[in-house]
Amino acid sequence: MKIEDVVCTFCGCLCDDLVVEVENNRVISVENGCTLANEKFMGDHRLKSPIRREGNGWKALSYDDAIRETAEILLDADRPLLYGWSGTHGEAQSVGVHLAELLGAVIDNTSTVCHGPSIMAIQEVGHPGCTLGQVKNRADVIVYWGANPIDAHPRHMSRYTTYADGFFVKEAFKERKVIVVDVRKTESSAVADEFVKVERGGDYAILSALRAIVRGKRDLIPKQVAGVTREQLFRVADICINAKFGAIFFGLGLTMSPGKYKNIRNAIELTEELNRHTKFTISPMRGHWNVYGSNEVFTWITGYPYAVDFARGIAFYNPGETTSVDILKRGECDACLVVASDPGAHFPRACAEHLARIPTVQIDPHVNATTHLATLQIPVAVTGIDAEGTAYRMDGVPIRTRKLFDGTYPSDFDILGKIYEQVKEVKGS
Amino acid sequence: MRGILNTGRTIRQGSYVERKNSPAYREEAASLHMNQVDMLDLELEEGSHVRVRSDQGAVVMVARPADGLARGEVFVCLGPYANFLVNPETHGTGMPDFKTTPVTIEPTTEQVPTVREIMERYGGVGYED
Ligand code: SF4
Repeated sequence: MKIEDVVCTFCGCLCDDLVVEVENNRVISVENGCTLANEKFMGDHRLKSPIRREGNGWKALSYDDAIRETAEILLDADRPLLYGWSGTHGEAQSVGVHLAELLGAVIDNTSTVCHGPSIMAIQEVGHPGCTLGQVKNRADVIVYWGANPIDAHPRHMSRYTTYADGFFVKEAFKERKVIVVDVRKTESSAVADEFVKVERGGDYAILSALRAIVRGKRDLIPKQVAGVTREQLFRVADICINAKFGAIFFGLGLTMSPGKYKNIRNAIELTEELNRHTKFTISPMRGHWNVYGSNEVFTWITGYPYAVDFARGIAFYNPGETTSVDILKRGECDACLVVASDPGAHFPRACAEHLARIPTVQIDPHVNATTHLATLQIPVAVTGIDAEGTAYRMDGVPIRTRKLFDGTYPSDFDILGKIYEQVKEVKGS
Repeated sequence: MRGILNTGRTIRQGSYVERKNSPAYREEAASLHMNQVDMLDLELEEGSHVRVRSDQGAVVMVARPADGLARGEVFVCLGPYANFLVNPETHGTGMPDFKTTPVTIEPTTEQVPTVREIMERYGGVGYED
């Protein structure tokens, strides 16, 4: 059976134009998707049943037992951490936040190690963003800063920017100028009209220089700024000022580099300066397909987008203190529930080591690095393949993902709902 | 040799991300991309093993030449090999310095550990798929 308009639940582009063929509860072909989508939909290597660590080995156990043990672990803990959430649908994320409140736990999502700093900057100076549809139809200048879409968001350029013809940009490839700013050459910088190669750690200085130029202070700019010539900076600034509509997309090259959220703040303020001349927007290249959704869901319920600590009985947020890496580094949490992410692979070593020391339960369809650190893993359906729910694209547009067939696995929502009920029975409402 | 470790996504890392215990994932995640002149200096060929050390410890990876990197810059895709070396300090931001880890690199004949072996070194118990 061929299913059209399938939503790809891999990256933040959340492409909704895939055509997927399904036979006997398996995906047998994918059209329109990129390499990442093909791997995601065609991949068939799930954990078969819940497993529990016993001594130096592993034993299978039933879903009922796994759910009961998870509830017990969470109830026993003084300072549980509920981490992950970006690889599941909004409905499940919502149960997670309520569970955290009931337990007095810390709940954090993967933005803590991707665009957390972007959110901190947005909280300081706001977010002049727009939807990807606006970019596709209007933007004649695109800036990718510290981002490599060809590797991380393979269809971003073809659906929305470089190669996407739009209503006011009829021949995108000719009419759109693409600027890439990065510390290294990448596949994406190879297709840019202007590649600005910045010295490591130099982004903040380059942003400040561009702000000065846009303000009309060209005479203040030295011959070179962070490895970039004054001439190139003038050229880039002129391209931006003369744009009809410009769009900056930035990646982890800004959020993870020295300066962190201050880099983003400076980039937003550059966008603000550019808006004195023309229309310019700025948006983060969100990684996981529903990491934006986790920020939305956390914010509706708690007022904060990530790193929310309920230990005081109310929601408290303080990045640097209530963020997962800091909590794990300090060895502070005494149990961890990992949902739809892989901190074993993606957190610094010292944090992963703490996960191995405490009871760690992972809810995830696949065996990953965290599996080896966990005490218990519960496999679930994959949202967008055999489970469905709401996700948020990187530009904040909600899109309902679809279930392609009825599989045998429960969804994150089912499992978390049962854990919640059992915790509630003990804790009261 | 001393260098600065940068990390980021690659399409191969993304392709195998749901099969982290596969040889294909290991091949990508344990690849240390470096400048060709630096490789000559260390007498490394593509595929040579190197011991990469930071203030957090040392892990064995595989050297690969890369065009876009200046001397002293090395790149490893995000994953357990890079994170073996990343310091958890976040300077009050929640975000570690994933893109600027000072490292030293030397040739070695030691084997590259599997993801499972790295997790066992962390105190975990390997699960066989
Ligand atoms: S660009 Fe992202 S959402 Fe679109 S098909 Fe590729 S992985 Fe899926």
